[in-house]
Amino acid sequence: MLLREKINLVVPGKFSGRACFSALRAFWRRASDKIRTPSRKDQASLPRGFDQNTCSPELHGLIATLKTVRQRILANTLLRGWTKWSVWLLVGLVAVGAISAKLAGILLFIGILAAVGAAAILVWTWRNRLSNYQSARRLDSAAGLQDRISTAVYLGRLAHPEGMVREQRRDALAHLAKVDPRGFFPVRLPGNVRRASVLVLVVAGLFAYRIHHKPPLVSLLQTTARSQLVQSIFSPIVHAMEKDLQRTIALVTKKPDAAGEEIQRGDAASSSDDLWNASDDKGAGAEDKKDSADAGLGDQPQDELQAPGDQEGAPYGEARQQDSYSQSQEGKSGSDSADSKSQQQSEQQGPEGRQSLGQSLMQALKNMMSNSPNQQSNNRARQQPPNGQGTPQSGNSHQPGATESDKRGESRGSSDAKQKATQTASEGAGSQQGSKELRKDQETHPVNAVPDRVALEASGFKEQTRMKIAPETGVAQLGVREVSPQQDAVINGAEQENILARYRFYVQRYFEHADNGKH
Amino acid sequence: MTRSVGTEGQTGGQPLGQQTEFLAEKMAEVRREISKAIVGQVEVVDGVLIALLAGGHVLLEGAPGLGKTMLVRTLAQAVALKYSRIQFTPDLMPADVIGTSVVQENGDGRKSLGFQPGPIFTNLLLADEINRATPKTQSALLEAMQEKQVTVAHTSHQLEEPFFVMATQNPLEMEGTYPLPEAQLDRFLFKLRVPYPGREDLHDILDRTTQGSPATVSPVVNGTQILEMRKVVRTVPVAPHVQEYVVKLTLATHPENRENLLASKYIRYGSSPRGAQTLILGGKVRALLDGRYNVSMEDIRALMLPALRHRIILNFEAQADGRTPDDLLEEIAGKICAK
Repeated sequence: MLLREKINLVVPGKFSGRACFSALRAFWRRASDKIRTPSRKDQASLPRGFDQNTCSPELHGLIATLKTVRQRILANTLLRGWTKWSVWLLVGLVAVGAISAKLAGILLFIGILAAVGAAAILVWTWRNRLSNYQSARRLDSAAGLQDRISTAVYLGRLAHPEGMVREQRRDALAHLAKVDPRGFFPVRLPGNVRRASVLVLVVAGLFAYRIHHKPPLVSLLQTTARSQLVQSIFSPIVHAMEKDLQRTIALVTKKPDAAGEEIQRGDAASSSDDLWNASDDKGAGAEDKKDSADAGLGDQPQDELQAPGDQEGAPYGEARQQDSYSQSQEGKSGSDSADSKSQQQSEQQGPEGRQSLGQSLMQALKNMMSNSPNQQSNNRARQQPPNGQGTPQSGNSHQPGATESDKRGESRGSSDAKQKATQTASEGAGSQQGSKELRKDQETHPVNAVPDRVALEASGFKEQTRMKIAPETGVAQLGVREVSPQQDAVINGAEQENILARYRFYVQRYFEHADNGKH
Repeated sequence: MTRSVGTEGQTGGQPLGQQTEFLAEKMAEVRREISKAIVGQVEVVDGVLIALLAGGHVLLEGAPGLGKTMLVRTLAQAVALKYSRIQFTPDLMPADVIGTSVVQENGDGRKSLGFQPGPIFTNLLLADEINRATPKTQSALLEAMQEKQVTVAHTSHQLEEPFFVMATQNPLEMEGTYPLPEAQLDRFLFKLRVPYPGREDLHDILDRTTQGSPATVSPVVNGTQILEMRKVVRTVPVAPHVQEYVVKLTLATHPENRENLLASKYIRYGSSPRGAQTLILGGKVRALLDGRYNVSMEDIRALMLPALRHRIILNFEAQADGRTPDDLLEEIAGKICAK
């Protein structure tokens, strides 16, 4: 029902502020009456509304006694609540005094909090105070009166009782006269008042200390940080972190050539047992020469990535350092390392290293954006499978300069495709090589520094006869005829390489490369 | 808000105060008379007296030789009531209990069917070994215990007040017995367990029964006085929180009550409203016997076990776990008090 209709019901024909107020008041009364209608359960507890009923004059003394009991219970409840609140505030003060340097504002805040909390506890306790009936029950149980007083209070509104009620009232008053309610309900300090007093002393001492000193917890932390034990524990960690930080700063701020040298030194120092880095460094000169020569003949993206550096006239040594640095970061994945190193390349090939990092990044992003359509079109052209034995794998679809890998039969299992992707991507990223460069690598530099980059020759596998197996659910067959050295298992039409045979072949190739490199 | 308690003022010719004093005195005398023949068993005697004044019936359960039959016989002598004893056997028929119509011949030689009352037409009936009779015969007591009347050949015959049934049963011998049906059990106000006597009590029993002549019990109260006392009992006021406690206790025995996991786990059927009535009525009598004019929580707690132990039926899980009605009720009451 709308408010206007309600107002019309209460005060017909008028809609004023007064009518509105009276309508709201009537609504509130109705709502509160509904709330106050006692159920049988509420009647058992007899809320404070029961106290407002007139009681027999005989029971005035009893009610006065119950008021005393109620006040004492209320006082005890208040003291308990306030003490508990004070304990929490004092704990907060101790924490603030130990930590905070400025106390004025916090002390003001805690003072306000204390006042508000105390008032809230007062209001809450007063609202939940016991009724006469509840006080009588407490008195009954405390004094062992066997519900005499509570029954008398419950029957108290009968002014002139007769029969059993009168006898009961007499009996209750007679028994009440024998007991001392104050003795059963003394006002006593709460149990945690000792804790509160100790905390008061602690807070007083702490704030007296704080008049002339810094926060004790801060001082303690500083002293601890200066101690030899802590320094002996943390100094290696701090040293390593500082070193890393310096290298990062040098990478960002210093000249590209100097940064590259420093990084080289750092890498050599940090991982002296990294044989692959050493071999990369050895072969870096000849390799980079070819890199720089092949750069113009390689993929278009690589050309474009290198174009700014070339246009700016970057020295040859810088490119060499870049290659050596990029080879030192060979643990990263192919595509990521390609992007990051192209960025670094563009940074280092700036105008004498004075170009800012942001400008270099923007330039690299622009290059990537301009290259992506050409790259995609190239990839699409390359994704035509040479024969119908397999589907183009995702690992081959975004490989810059992957023309040779096309020839090697991309339609083999996914593991092979992944290895190729790793190989070609890392090559493209680290040394900026194209397809021709890869061929030269295989001819002139048989030893590859990275085990993952070992070219897995699979040219012979393409011509291997495969078994024609009808794709049947749940049937796995191994080719046993004319399948050497690799065996293919076909499950539901998908080819699975024999991993053990591939691994054996991989290890064999690896040692061949290693022997070639040594000799 | 207030109920019409205590407005009766006086019952009988005496003021209520005197009546309550009279009641307490007379019951004390009955106790003394019973104690001449029965050694110890204070709780059982109190339970029997409370049931007598509350207008209910008592089922005494105990091993043979503990004085159950002696207690009933002594009580009948002390209260000066008509007393009958029925020894329940498997071949006992309902007509043997309540009576039957027989052909009677008048003085002028004319014959007609007349009702021959059975032993149930008495004030104090001892149904000895009640679980040895068949359920058919046991059921003959149903109407008599609740309605205080029996119906034979479409004719109802009122029983004389006060009508008080005291049944005994032996928990040890189960062979050849018929457990009382739930409807029959529910009609007993209390089920009292007769314990074994202690050391001192056993000495007393030996001294009294093996030396000299048995004690003579003199009547101290009659049926009319008992009926007056029953009226007084009903005027005792009950505070709302005590009544709420009784309601909670009764509802807590119901397995449908999801708040009480204990009842839902172990109890198949909970207490009927008769259980709550028993608690209140018994509490009133107990209060008067204690010299009070109001029912207290202690009265309810004291009467909880005899009033409710035969009204709850345990399920298989309780029997498997070795739970008894008594310990379940104690646990339930403890939880209610904790709340």
